[in-house]
Amino acid sequence: MSRVGVEALLTSGRTLKQGRAMELGKLGPEYLKEVAICEMDKVTLEALGLDEGDPVCVETLHGSVLVTSKIDRRAEPGIVFIPCGPYANAVTGSDTENTGMPDFKGVSAQIFGAKGEKVLNVKELLKQIMEGA
Amino acid sequence: MTEDSGMKENIVCPFCGCLCDDIALSVVGNQITDNKNGCSISQAKFLNHHDDRLAMDSSVEELVKKAAEIIVKSKRLLVYGLSSTENDAHREAYKIAEEVGGVVDNTSSVCHGPTILGTQESGESIAALAETRHRADLVIYWGSNPQFAHPRHMSRYVRADGLFIKDGKKDRKIWVVDVRKTISAGVADKFVKINPGSDLEIISALRAIARGKILDVEEVGGLSINELTELVEAMKNAKYGVLFFGLGLTQSKGRHRNIDAAIRLIQDLNYDSKWSMMPMRGHYNVAGANKTSTWQTGYPYAVDYARGYPRYQPGEYTAVDMLVRGEPDAVLNIAADPAAHFPRAAVKHLAGIPVINLDPKQNMTSLLAKVNIQTAISGIECDGAAVRMDGLPLYLKKVVDPPEGVLPDRDVLRMIYDEVRRLKK
Amino acid sequence: MSKQTILTNGRVYDPMNGIDGEIKDICISDGKIVERVDGSAKKIDLKGRLVMAGGVDMHSHIVGSKVGVGRAMCPEDHRKDPVPKTKHTRSGVGYTMPSSYVIGYRYSSMGYTTVIEPALPALKGLGSWEELEDLPNLDSGLLPLFCNSMITFNYVKEGDPSGLAAYIAWILQKVGGLGVKVVNPGGTYAWAHGVDLRDPDGEIPGWDISPREVTRGLCQAVESLGLPHMMHFHPNNLGRVGNIETTIAQLDSIRDIKGHGGREHIAHLTHMSFETLGSVEGAGTDWGDLASGGLEFAKYFNKNKHFTADMGQITFGPATTMTGDGPFEFYLWQLTGGKWANIAVDVELAGGAGIVPYTYSPKAAGNSVQWAIPLEFALNVDDVWRCIMSTDHPNAGPFTKYPLVMSWLMSKKQRDTWMEGMHKFAHERSTLPTIEREWSLYEIAISTRAAPAKILGLEATKGHLGVGADADVSVYDVDTTKVDFAKDPDRIIKTFSTSYLTFHHGQQMAKKGKVNASVNGKVWSVHPELNESLWTRINKELEVMMNDWYSHSFYNYPVPERYRAPLEQKIPVDSTSVPA
Repeated sequence: MSRVGVEALLTSGRTLKQGRAMELGKLGPEYLKEVAICEMDKVTLEALGLDEGDPVCVETLHGSVLVTSKIDRRAEPGIVFIPCGPYANAVTGSDTENTGMPDFKGVSAQIFGAKGEKVLNVKELLKQIMEGA
Repeated sequence: MTEDSGMKENIVCPFCGCLCDDIALSVVGNQITDNKNGCSISQAKFLNHHDDRLAMDSSVEELVKKAAEIIVKSKRLLVYGLSSTENDAHREAYKIAEEVGGVVDNTSSVCHGPTILGTQESGESIAALAETRHRADLVIYWGSNPQFAHPRHMSRYVRADGLFIKDGKKDRKIWVVDVRKTISAGVADKFVKINPGSDLEIISALRAIARGKILDVEEVGGLSINELTELVEAMKNAKYGVLFFGLGLTQSKGRHRNIDAAIRLIQDLNYDSKWSMMPMRGHYNVAGANKTSTWQTGYPYAVDYARGYPRYQPGEYTAVDMLVRGEPDAVLNIAADPAAHFPRAAVKHLAGIPVINLDPKQNMTSLLAKVNIQTAISGIECDGAAVRMDGLPLYLKKVVDPPEGVLPDRDVLRMIYDEVRRLKK
Repeated sequence: MSKQTILTNGRVYDPMNGIDGEIKDICISDGKIVERVDGSAKKIDLKGRLVMAGGVDMHSHIVGSKVGVGRAMCPEDHRKDPVPKTKHTRSGVGYTMPSSYVIGYRYSSMGYTTVIEPALPALKGLGSWEELEDLPNLDSGLLPLFCNSMITFNYVKEGDPSGLAAYIAWILQKVGGLGVKVVNPGGTYAWAHGVDLRDPDGEIPGWDISPREVTRGLCQAVESLGLPHMMHFHPNNLGRVGNIETTIAQLDSIRDIKGHGGREHIAHLTHMSFETLGSVEGAGTDWGDLASGGLEFAKYFNKNKHFTADMGQITFGPATTMTGDGPFEFYLWQLTGGKWANIAVDVELAGGAGIVPYTYSPKAAGNSVQWAIPLEFALNVDDVWRCIMSTDHPNAGPFTKYPLVMSWLMSKKQRDTWMEGMHKFAHERSTLPTIEREWSLYEIAISTRAAPAKILGLEATKGHLGVGADADVSVYDVDTTKVDFAKDPDRIIKTFSTSYLTFHHGQQMAKKGKVNASVNGKVWSVHPELNESLWTRINKELEVMMNDWYSHSFYNYPVPERYRAPLEQKIPVDSTSVPA
């Protein structure tokens, strides 16, 4: 994995495909395809020396997760997006500042290219979390 | 309705907070074969309801026994979820929590909980959907991406023609305020791009400008004072404005303070015009969960029954905080997927304690649950009531039979309650 | 086997049957009052204790979306008043907006058995029925709002009284309502257009009709349908100094409407305290000009017999104002600067219902005069059968303050004590200090039992203890021959705060204030039957209007039977004489 990363704010949210995939099966390949991704602008992807579809590692203070890179043509550098779901949450902080609501939006992150590495499926990801990695 | 021909009309879609009630389904035998009018998510929900169901490793009766034993043994039960099931299930869930002195929280703690906290500071001028369609000449979506999360929200309530807005496409302006150019921003009349985490500053600046204050800065959150002033002028000049806001406002820096500020801004605008606002509720019945909890306990979420009466404290009795503190020793999860939607630290505790999971389908939570009970899908396989994002209650119909032996959440919860009572004697 | 009880040696106050403090036995069989029971009946010797019919509250906001929004936005209202579960009862919270179970229990422990929710946005009826299932120990009913609905305006504008009556009949049947509520007719709607319409003769924007025409139309429709309960009326211009003029003008404007079957009363004016604000002679309409209109209104009331009224008595301390009169709440919020909620409702209440928490203070000039208004009124009326005790819960104060209100009505000493520390305006701008009258127990029994039952049209089974009545009985722990309530107001409060026994449909709900049952009561609804052609017409017309105007389908409007059947008590009404 490359140690040359790009800094960005990570945000998460709903996508239509994520919503649809959720109804098709939350352990299935479709869901994985829609939530285990990180959307970013083309410049950021190029800076990482990656092609769309290459894995990236997203690291925050709270953890790191491997997801597939994806270009969002509307996006601008500085903000990357992971659809809401277990992959986004794997790097989300749990401090709610006494509101009940963790930091789902606007977490500082570093993005690294991770060519050749494997994106975990939902079951594998859960195992990783349970084992405390 | 024309039951004979196999067409069922005016069906309510149990996916998002829009609760579109114009769904027409073709049903052949016990199979839904076509969904007219529904969005693509609605299509997936109705047409694939049979797929990917939650597996049970013994009979419902046996599983209910196991569940009750876990509950009776636990010292600190957390009951969680509820937003994707109908109201009667909620009422049964509260009974269980009350019986054993547990905590009950619904998914609003991780979606519009901050909205509720905001209203507890300031109130709220709450909008209604038909009123929006008939009257609103300016609609703002703030931190919300309806084209993805509420696919028919714009077409049904905002772009549609209304009584006083003859041409919904021309006579009504739509703005999207967001940190990134979303698909919804692409179809809006105006996209206002703001710096991430600057919502509170921007809203406060808008309010100050609306009140005639001079701000001694050049820009706020990525918007120049000129831009801000133009926004305020347009808002004041609107005849009837509606602010729809999403998790971009509740989940970002400032949380409930963002909402509180937005409420005050909208309230103030009523001096010059008519303005109201509405949270874009995600799960189809999360608004119902707040409502049922409020009438039974006085509080909309984050309720603790440990002392035999309901106490309320977000940050203490909210699910994420409870789990991160390692407090619950058992979880009864109903119609939600906390393992997929909670932060890592919360999921880690969840994975280490017995979880009883009621859901029609398998998901990440079912992978770690000790007891999985498959239930009927409300609004498809059983009836019930749900609450739309603007507070309108709607009746969900039973369209087809559930898989054999599969019961509605409310029935399973009632069985668990009865068994808990029996074991406690 | 029938379940029988006999209550012996009670001192009975039962005005509907002319009984004023006689020692009598009350026989109960299968939930009804009967002539006699057999020897196997359970016997309870009341030893001279006070007996009345179960209390009937005809105006108390206990369910629905505004109560829910109010509860949710005010956790501070409940925190200090937790209510633990018991062997027989569910837990909850109290204070101005108690949780659903606690509302039932607190009424039970005070000896009340029937409570009417007076403001239902009909399209949200389903939610109220659900909530009523969690509100035990009371019989209830819902009054849908018709006053700011575009459908009402449509029929009034078209000059189609049959259409209007049929719309009302359709809603009452499909949603399950007990009567017709009118709140700020046209005014709330106008506010959605940004218009502050408080003049009954002003124009409702876009409709070319006035609030007066809407009020008359609805009043006539109720009488033509022959509904048991007359129009339940909250006029325009509420809560403004000098509004007694508007109120009287509006009551005058319906005086000529003929009551169904010759009945005398064609409107019930609710919470008169907010509608009869006078002003000092020659002064304006600022809050500094406020004077009590209670006496003036009592004079009008004594002369004009076409309406009844309830007090809406301010009780001091915390309250939560909530009303379908959204523009009034916006105005009140400008005075308080605290929380304000407004709930717009599709088509039926475009401007919205509002909620503002409020604390009434005896030291405040305005509040002290407002407090004096309904007392001055109630102590000057010549017919208590038309004058109902209420606090418009939780608007003027919570229903749990009824014993305090009774003490003000029954004891001059109590009024004097309270007025000692009160703002001087209460003394100077009302005649209350000079009023000697003290209500008797018999009058209390009229105003809290017999009269509201009669006004609601439920007098066959409610509000009295005659044979055939529902066995709703409250017993209070006092021997009225041994106390002088007027001299001992604390005793009034103590006596009426917790009943000695409360029976509802023959079942004991509470003993010495301790609630020992949690069972569903009945929910009354009227079902006006129209002639077939009118029924066909209204279904066709409403389908078009609703599908055009609402955001949900005409077919999803009715409240399904499944939510109503366990509770509903239908009152059929023959309205076939309304022409198509």
